[in-house]
Amino acid sequence: MDREQLALLKELMALEFTALEFNLYLDTHPTDQRALMEFNSVIPQLRAVKQKYQERYGPLTAEEPSSYPWQWINEPWPWEICYE
Amino acid sequence: MYTPADRMRLARAYVPFQIFSQRLSPMEGLMKGTIFPELYFPYRRHHK
Amino acid sequence: MWIYEKKLQYPAKVGRANVKMAKYLITQYGGPDGELAASLRYLTQRYHMPTPQAKGILTDIGTEELAHLEIIATLVYKLMDRASIEEIKAADLGGYYADHDKGLYYVNGEGVPWTAAYIQSKGDPVADLHEDMAAEEKARATYEWLINLSDDPDLNDTLKFLREREIVHFQRFGETLQIVQEYLDSKKYY
Repeated sequence: MDREQLALLKELMALEFTALEFNLYLDTHPTDQRALMEFNSVIPQLRAVKQKYQERYGPLTAEEPSSYPWQWINEPWPWEICYE
Repeated sequence: MYTPADRMRLARAYVPFQIFSQRLSPMEGLMKGTIFPELYFPYRRHHK
Repeated sequence: MWIYEKKLQYPAKVGRANVKMAKYLITQYGGPDGELAASLRYLTQRYHMPTPQAKGILTDIGTEELAHLEIIATLVYKLMDRASIEEIKAADLGGYYADHDKGLYYVNGEGVPWTAAYIQSKGDPVADLHEDMAAEEKARATYEWLINLSDDPDLNDTLKFLREREIVHFQRFGETLQIVQEYLDSKKYY
């Protein structure tokens, strides 16, 4: 995996992690309006980076339309990537 | 939701509720394992 | 239901292959305080939680633990990859090799297979949330002992991430416990 793809993948991980942190916080603080606003502002950023990544490097889930042949199974799978 | 000290009773465990104030940037949060600075308690390695 | 996303939660780094470390680390895959036990514990306890917050947090943390399971698998896979028979023998992993080659299996560091006896589901939400908080502390301690055993800064970077998640989960379970206790009190007295 080239440096550019790895950088975008890490950006995606960071945004998804931020969304998860607010998700767990909001589970026990459902009426915290500030945290809810933060969560709502992260989601469009996450979606944008996810879309950019998928356009360039292929589907992240099997719920994306695929070019021919079926792109979902393309390597590398997550455990095969060199993250160092 | 938040139990003040004078309403706490015996034979019960309490963890104080987090009150959100600040957050780290997405990348800094990912590297630290939390986006909440008040929940960041890094391990200080010790040798026995 | 669950939908698989083809990415890790965190970039799982390994500085160099190290069979001995793989043997220690595999306890977080299939050991008593490992990620499989954590995920299955929370996902089975959620059915008898009385409040929406508790149902949500057990579902979401149980799901995050599956992502941690995948990170541990990736680390073990990378630590074992390309290991020679001599290295496997030197790390005292010959018994594991005879049964699994380098395939991943749910065992602890001594080769004991995973068992449902590692987890509890009491049907009492207060008792179960206490178990969950204890489980997070035990997993945190395990990550600290693993960091003590490892001299690989890349590996330790990932282990520190996973350790910090245990602290955040403990906080969320603690908040959930209070919500559940207040809910049960309100049912009892009013």
